[in-house]
Amino acid sequence: MNRQPRTLLTLLLIGAIVGTGYFIWRDLRAPLPGAPHSSRTTDVAPSRGGRLVSTLRSEPRSFNRLASANAVTELYSLLAQAKLVRINRATQELEPWLAEKWETSADGRAFTLTLRDGLTWSDGTPFSAEDVAFTFRAAYDPKAGIVLGPTLQVDGHPLAATVIDGRTVRVEFPASFGPGLRLLDNLPILPRHKLEGALAAGTFAQAWNAATPPSDLVGMGPFQLARYEPGQRLVFTRNPHYWRSAPDGTRLPYLDELVLEIVPDQNAELLRLQSGDADVMQSTVRAEDLASIRPLESQGKLQLLELGVSADPDVFFFNLRAPYWAKDPRRGWVTTRQWRQAISHAVDREALAESVYLGTAVPVWGPVSPGNREWFSPNVPRYPYSLETAAKLLASIGLENRDADEWLEDMSGTEARFTMLTYRGNLVLEREAAFLRDELNKVGIAVDVVALEANALVDRLVRGDFEAIFFQYLTSDLDPALSKDFWLSSGPAHIWNMSQDTPGTPWEAKIDELTRQQAAALDPAERRRLFAEMQRVFGENVPALYFVAPRLYAAASARVVNLTPAILRPQLLWAADTIAVKP
Amino acid sequence: MLTFCLRRILMAALLVLAVASGALVLTRLAPGDGIEEGHLLDPVARAAERARLGLDRPLAEQYVAWLAGAVRLDFGESVLYSRPVTHMVGERAVNTAILAVAALALATLLGIPLGVYTGTHASGIGAALARGASTLLLSIPPLVGALVLVLVAARTGWFPAGGMTSVGGSATWAAWVADVLSHLPVPALSLSLPLAATLERLQSQALAEAAREPFVDASRARGVPPRQVLARHAWPASLGPVLAVYGLMIGSLFSGSFVVEVITAWPGLGRLMFDALRARDLYLVAGTAAAGAACLAAGTLAADVVHARLDPRVRERHRP
Repeated sequence: MNRQPRTLLTLLLIGAIVGTGYFIWRDLRAPLPGAPHSSRTTDVAPSRGGRLVSTLRSEPRSFNRLASANAVTELYSLLAQAKLVRINRATQELEPWLAEKWETSADGRAFTLTLRDGLTWSDGTPFSAEDVAFTFRAAYDPKAGIVLGPTLQVDGHPLAATVIDGRTVRVEFPASFGPGLRLLDNLPILPRHKLEGALAAGTFAQAWNAATPPSDLVGMGPFQLARYEPGQRLVFTRNPHYWRSAPDGTRLPYLDELVLEIVPDQNAELLRLQSGDADVMQSTVRAEDLASIRPLESQGKLQLLELGVSADPDVFFFNLRAPYWAKDPRRGWVTTRQWRQAISHAVDREALAESVYLGTAVPVWGPVSPGNREWFSPNVPRYPYSLETAAKLLASIGLENRDADEWLEDMSGTEARFTMLTYRGNLVLEREAAFLRDELNKVGIAVDVVALEANALVDRLVRGDFEAIFFQYLTSDLDPALSKDFWLSSGPAHIWNMSQDTPGTPWEAKIDELTRQQAAALDPAERRRLFAEMQRVFGENVPALYFVAPRLYAAASARVVNLTPAILRPQLLWAADTIAVKP
Repeated sequence: MLTFCLRRILMAALLVLAVASGALVLTRLAPGDGIEEGHLLDPVARAAERARLGLDRPLAEQYVAWLAGAVRLDFGESVLYSRPVTHMVGERAVNTAILAVAALALATLLGIPLGVYTGTHASGIGAALARGASTLLLSIPPLVGALVLVLVAARTGWFPAGGMTSVGGSATWAAWVADVLSHLPVPALSLSLPLAATLERLQSQALAEAAREPFVDASRARGVPPRQVLARHAWPASLGPVLAVYGLMIGSLFSGSFVVEVITAWPGLGRLMFDALRARDLYLVAGTAAAGAACLAAGTLAADVVHARLDPRVRERHRP
């Protein structure tokens, strides 16, 4: 090649690169496609029609809510099935749902529920009280492999459902239970005519799996599954037999179609929303993403919704099973209350909220965050940031710096060191764990942070094979009586020392007693008093440490109207029947 | 050549069996039990979920049952999705193959000509730019590259930012093809740009070395025009290292890229394997691993055959 064509080729190449770069730069600065220019639309009256696209982080494992506690299955159930009563995720109040009203017996243990008249399943089959009785039978059938069974019991005993007539069911509790019918928010009513055969054949847990044709899935929710394209999306269409109407008489749901696009990566999920390919994000917005959403909010393209303080603060706890430490030289101090209190004093919660959550978190002192407005007690013991107090408490259990290094030692020379397990891949948790390690280093405590895959960590937790864990424990209901498995020493979610035969400490015995009284009490004021006392005893003994609770944010396209955000999952789609989009 | 191919096919079958068996056993022995719900701590509920996932059965029993089916190409049923593994792997393999073909074509069309250009131009701005771009693309992790492309697609609206088809579906076969093609640029570029850079670097080095071979000098001395020297002598001789890597590229592309498929929401084998691993879905893990190993073996075999066709020295080596 002679010199002239080569120079020409080079110039053309440079021109092409510069030109492409210019067009990318120009388009990156241009308004987002798909996201319409408009003002905030939450005050626009909802109307019928349209399609809403939401992201979904993972595939459904099953469409059988009783057999799977998977979050996607739960979301499917919220969209396509219905319960007798519902907890309004925004107000936390119990609402009539398939049951339009109920009467409570004098002792508060029996409820006679009247079902709405004229209800039909999505396939047109009439709904009756027999379907309710069938669902209760399936939920408690020992052969059915029901994962929700234990959560639907009171003191280890099932509820009894008796059909009075076609529209009336009597539900009896085995013991007095403060939350009453709130327990039934967990129980979608299933069609007897579709699933009775599977229950009889002992294959109920396998029924309605991910391979089931959508036409076989029948429910009474606002939507019905029309299409499941594995790896891509779930497409829901309006259930023509849905019973609910808006206050102005418009038949619900407003939407013609609801699409859940499977987007496994959270960064890609955010980009889909920003580009207008999605209207709603399943995930809440991370603190570091707020900066990229706020400009779009001010331009009227997106809605950024502050939901409130999360009810699920991250939790840090030591293994308090005595046998685990029996042969460990640290046994003299690692399970003491002073050790945990010292750690609580050594962590600067404000700095943690600033550095990890960029200021979008609030300090917390116990398992109940201010986000749980009904049950939060502000009067729990607090451990303000003080390295001096932490050092004094550590000295009181014999931990001092006895050599030239930076770590504390006990009388036998054993270093104040422990291993903290946390979730791998959860960047916020990993950053928080690193922050805690650095904070504890300041008082001479060495922390080895080990990140594990989520189910490997839970496996270690369940087997009691850990020194300390820092993770997130999700709350499904804000009423403490529905979290008895956490509070009771015999509970499987009593994470620091699970499933004890008898309470290992006097304070756990005290909390057990208070928990039982609180769950059995019917008077709301008495229940609040007892729970405040539970939180106080918990706070004095700090079996688990809580540092901050993040403020939750959700984002949606400006074309979405009539959203009812809540702090519990799924924060926006829990009330999908009343969501609408601008025409 | 036939004996060579038969021997390689037999080795490939053994490789597939070994990889699938290893994947199944290691997945079963890995810590954790595949129960996704971290809050599901109740022992009764966990036992029910473990039974549903088939994790309560002894490993030996599961392996023998799987092996008996695998020799008949029946890889069992996914406990996660309650569907035959063969069908699921087949569906996802088609999606991955579409992406792999597009990525391979792009990588080849970009990488090989650029490699020939830089291999025959030791100096000049064009060659320097191409080498610089290759170095840049090679140093960008696939995760970052895919995210940047998704960002560009999302912000500019030039292409769909993810997925394989549009929400509304397609009425006709032609519309479906057009829809898939419109979704291809982002994942295909994410995969192909680093591969194109690899090919460019390899081709460039190999061609520069081949140009110094005595038989190339001899052909020049015989008065063969430079273009013919390049096309008929130097370039075929330079293909050895390129094709060796090409075979591995085919294998890795057709077995699915987990990172790119997750970021761009492409429903391929890589994502399926990731989900299967997380859920400890043994048969699905084994099935996807077998598919990956088969693709790798087929890719290297194809590359070897092509190499033999193009380079007479290789044919000589395999002649009985």
